[in-house]
Amino acid sequence: MLRAPERPRPVARDWARRPTGAWTVAPGARRPATPLALDGVSKRWSAAQAPVLNDISLTLASGSSTWIGGRNGVGKTTLLRIAAGLIHPELGRVHARGRTVHEDRARYQRLVSLLPAGDRGLYARLSVRRHLEFWARIAMVRRERLQGLVRETIAAFELAELAERRVDRLSMGQRQRLRIAMTFLAQPEVVLLDEPLTSLDEEGVELLRQAAAAVIDRGGALLWCSPNVDHDQGSFDARWTLECGRLVPA
Amino acid sequence: MSALSSSGRAYLAVFQRDLSIYLSYRMRLLSQTASTLFSLVLFYYVSRLVHVRGFGSPDNYYAFVVVGLALLGVIYSCFATPALIRQELVAGTLDRLVLSPFGPVRSVIAMSLFPLAYATALATLSLALASAIFGLHLHWATVPLGIPVMALTLLAFLPFGLLFAALTIVVKQDNVGTNWLVAILALIGGMYFPISLLPHWLQVAGKLQPFSPATEVLRHYLVATPLNAPVATSLLKLAVFAAILLPLSIQALRLAVRTGQRRATITEY
Repeated sequence: MLRAPERPRPVARDWARRPTGAWTVAPGARRPATPLALDGVSKRWSAAQAPVLNDISLTLASGSSTWIGGRNGVGKTTLLRIAAGLIHPELGRVHARGRTVHEDRARYQRLVSLLPAGDRGLYARLSVRRHLEFWARIAMVRRERLQGLVRETIAAFELAELAERRVDRLSMGQRQRLRIAMTFLAQPEVVLLDEPLTSLDEEGVELLRQAAAAVIDRGGALLWCSPNVDHDQGSFDARWTLECGRLVPA
Repeated sequence: MSALSSSGRAYLAVFQRDLSIYLSYRMRLLSQTASTLFSLVLFYYVSRLVHVRGFGSPDNYYAFVVVGLALLGVIYSCFATPALIRQELVAGTLDRLVLSPFGPVRSVIAMSLFPLAYATALATLSLALASAIFGLHLHWATVPLGIPVMALTLLAFLPFGLLFAALTIVVKQDNVGTNWLVAILALIGGMYFPISLLPHWLQVAGKLQPFSPATEVLRHYLVATPLNAPVATSLLKLAVFAAILLPLSIQALRLAVRTGQRRATITEY
């Protein structure tokens, strides 16, 4: 299950909580924009080919989780890469909290974090701790928060025993746990996961679910892509399948 | 101020990352020191064997060539960035740099820092070994002046590495003529022998690149080689190269990343 048993909502300045637990905007307050919205996104690899993504629109609401499935090569990774700002669509726009990656790249990348599929994206000769410290600094985390954040991440993903071990001496599952830890490290508001369960053991899956639940609990959004139903479908707020460049309800 | 400080720490993080990776290969420093020593020995005996016109003694030619060799190492290090980019592409770590708030352009610039610092340290070691073992006479009174000249030289040469890094992002190969370029620069820049020995048209070509003024001024400050042009003129040349090429190369890098993102080839290798 993606949701934690108890979900303490973030207490933001301009927000008021109803006694029922529902949320509303305080009078005069400006409602923050949706964590992530894709608006008419299209991408094709060549003019001769059909678009891999055809006019895709998708909104990830605050505190929501979304799953997208589909067969291999259908365009799930492309969709995630576009959502992350790694590649650009031919048509359409992607907003994170109301701004596109072109308007404010650094802010966008602070908000959105991607776990790419596979086992790449690590430096073989660096230790687990060095990786986390490096990515925290590249994520421009403030100096006073940095070490605390690294410590918390090591604890949250139970990496203490591996902290000083070099990546080329880790198992595939341990590397995947580190990759996931790096994805959640800077506490992004939107987390995009591309086949995150690769090589993970049960303990790793549980840690991932806890981290995902924490993102949702603090009002962020989660987008999970995988070809198969490799988890509890009922735990997602929305489920889609990508077919012929379009999203259809799963 | 906070953004500036975060940015500075991110640059430092890339530098420290590269240092850590370098230190993890324990034999590398030893083998590179041995290689430096080998070059020093080779040219010491070449200087004893061959009489080069314009040099009063073998020691003068040895001093000339040792500074050229030291600077060539630094120039090579400017071209190390494309190979690093290629490694990042293959390892999939460039994606993460592109997706970081620090961003791809600053990351690539930061990647140039360790090779430059390392090559400068190796150049210093090379001069020290030549002095200690082969009796190279360093002109200590003006040696400190070589430091700002070296800094300006690095600024003039860094853009070449960034331009080739941009090319690597686009074509996914890191050896698209860099070795040839360095070899030609070394030849027309007067690393092994004075450019006055070259045919006239090559001498003209030699004046159109920053290697010659850099070597000339550094040689003058480090081993008191006579100057062909005033120091101010050579420094001005270096400054002009840096002022024109640096923004141009950063813009090329930005364009290469944007093209990769638009064509979705940024993740390819």
